[in-house]
Amino acid sequence: MSDGPTRWHTTTSLGRALSVAGVGIVVALVAGRPGVVVVVAPLLVVAAMALLHKPTVEPEVFAMIGHRQLHEGQGTRVRLETRDMDDVEYLTRVMSPQPFVALNPAQGTVGQLVAPGDEILPIAVSPRRWGTRMLGAEKVALTTPWAGYRWGPVPFLAREVGVLPAVSHLRSGGEAPQPIGLIGGHRSRRDGNGTEFSSIRRFHAGDRLRRINWRVSLRQGDLHVESTRAEEDTAVLLIVDALADYGRSEGIGSSESSLDVTVRASAAIAEQYVAGGDRVSLRVLSPGGEYAGYGTGTRHLRRILILLSHIRPGVPRDVEIDQIDFRATAGTVVVVISPMLSEPLATATVRLVRRGLPVIVVDPLPAGSTPTVYPDADELVSDLAWRMRLLDRNHLLAQLSAFGCPVVPWNGPRTLEEVLRRLSRRNQLPRVSG
Amino acid sequence: MSSSGMVRGAHRSVWVLRGVLLAGAVLALFAGVPEGYDPPVALVVFVVVSATLSAFRPEHLSLAITMVAVVVWWAYAHDTEMPVAVLVAAAGLLATHVAGVVLAYGPPSLPVAPEVALLWTGRGILAWVAALVVWGVARTYTGHGTPAVFWLTGLAAALVGAVVAGAAVPMRGQGTRG
Repeated sequence: MSDGPTRWHTTTSLGRALSVAGVGIVVALVAGRPGVVVVVAPLLVVAAMALLHKPTVEPEVFAMIGHRQLHEGQGTRVRLETRDMDDVEYLTRVMSPQPFVALNPAQGTVGQLVAPGDEILPIAVSPRRWGTRMLGAEKVALTTPWAGYRWGPVPFLAREVGVLPAVSHLRSGGEAPQPIGLIGGHRSRRDGNGTEFSSIRRFHAGDRLRRINWRVSLRQGDLHVESTRAEEDTAVLLIVDALADYGRSEGIGSSESSLDVTVRASAAIAEQYVAGGDRVSLRVLSPGGEYAGYGTGTRHLRRILILLSHIRPGVPRDVEIDQIDFRATAGTVVVVISPMLSEPLATATVRLVRRGLPVIVVDPLPAGSTPTVYPDADELVSDLAWRMRLLDRNHLLAQLSAFGCPVVPWNGPRTLEEVLRRLSRRNQLPRVSG
Repeated sequence: MSSSGMVRGAHRSVWVLRGVLLAGAVLALFAGVPEGYDPPVALVVFVVVSATLSAFRPEHLSLAITMVAVVVWWAYAHDTEMPVAVLVAAAGLLATHVAGVVLAYGPPSLPVAPEVALLWTGRGILAWVAALVVWGVARTYTGHGTPAVFWLTGLAAALVGAVVAGAAVPMRGQGTRG
């Protein structure tokens, strides 16, 4: 028990029972009305029983949250650990609602009769949107038998929980157009030690004997071997446009803003490529300038997801977007996730295309989304301005396509597959140089 | 109605309890009507309005004021007789108080668990037995020529004494912890 002041205090119920009964008895005595004593007698009994259960022990209550990091849509439980609950009959928990946090029970209120050894009912919380969420802010009140005394309500502060974007765990069927790494899952343009058939050619010194195709060798009179394509990994650069957020966000499974789609698409693409053994880098265009260099493995993926969850939309300070060196070496697949409402970013994208890099633009702008405008803005004017911006955007996207940069709307984790196949086929075609 | 049992910001069971609170106050006020004790309209309006407000704010002083108004009405309107109606009034007033107690356990979104309702129903019945006992004692002594003030004082002293003793008696484990 703490040495500080007690948190037990009498309830208004006890005060009411005592005061009404007291008034009744005084009135009965003064006016000589025995019937009034009968009317208030039960209240006296209730008050007496409440007083008999006056608490003597200061309970201890601790709130605990199951996880410090979650993916959006996942859930955890906020539990209460209690001590010295001998005087307690009823426990009330009230968790305050937070934006993008679902509660179970839905209203965040729990009440239960407490007996020694009973487990306190937990409240389940589930963050519905990536980012940093405050979970577990609640008030706890304890009541003695006959409701004469109440402990609290004692507030418990919310804890900060990092909410990572959801990942799909889908393995992409798309192959990188120009894999240049050492080992990996992508079919290379050059021959090497792989499993996919490339051609049958004459035997050279150094070829493995098990590669000899005896049927062709007997027919041709010379030794011939089967050659295979090498399998290599690739580098993927994710350029994430967090310059602004368009549309309304209502959490996972509901309507999404452009930044929601951007973050979830980035997470899904990063997860797919990292799971395939590829090197993935992240560059976020935001005031925070989140950046992750090329890396692979689950730890690197987690780092990328954490960076994505820290994104705050806004224009980067102290840096011109079209002057950024994106550090994309030859063969790197560049995925720009942007609604392309920024001309400098479009210029930067064209620069990457002109360097011969396979660049794909993923459009995260949800249909019908509108920007947030000042409350006192003229609705007609803002609507007209937005339509003009959309026209500019369509023009920009058409120009990017003309430069050889495919633009695809985000349509789930398999969005890039078909585009990557097309890019691979295009890279295998003969080119006229000069 | 939503799937979680919420109706206009409060759980369905809370609405039931609010109804009990209001009905209890009205019942206590009108219990004497069969015996010719009609409460004035102004008092009825006051009690109904005040009880309705209290049903939404059970920890507010208005509930105590409502109950005091009913008690004062009984003292004003009824003489030294001990009609059965006082038992009904006691039950109504007790129902109002108990409903207020349970409503005060938490916000309106907190559902009233069946075990809590059962517990307080049992307690209410037990407490009402006290009214029955006092009523029985009073009825027994009414025809014996004893001045009413004597037994009335005795009963009141016994009840107040019980309350004071309850408050003064050392509680379970007092002094051994903390």
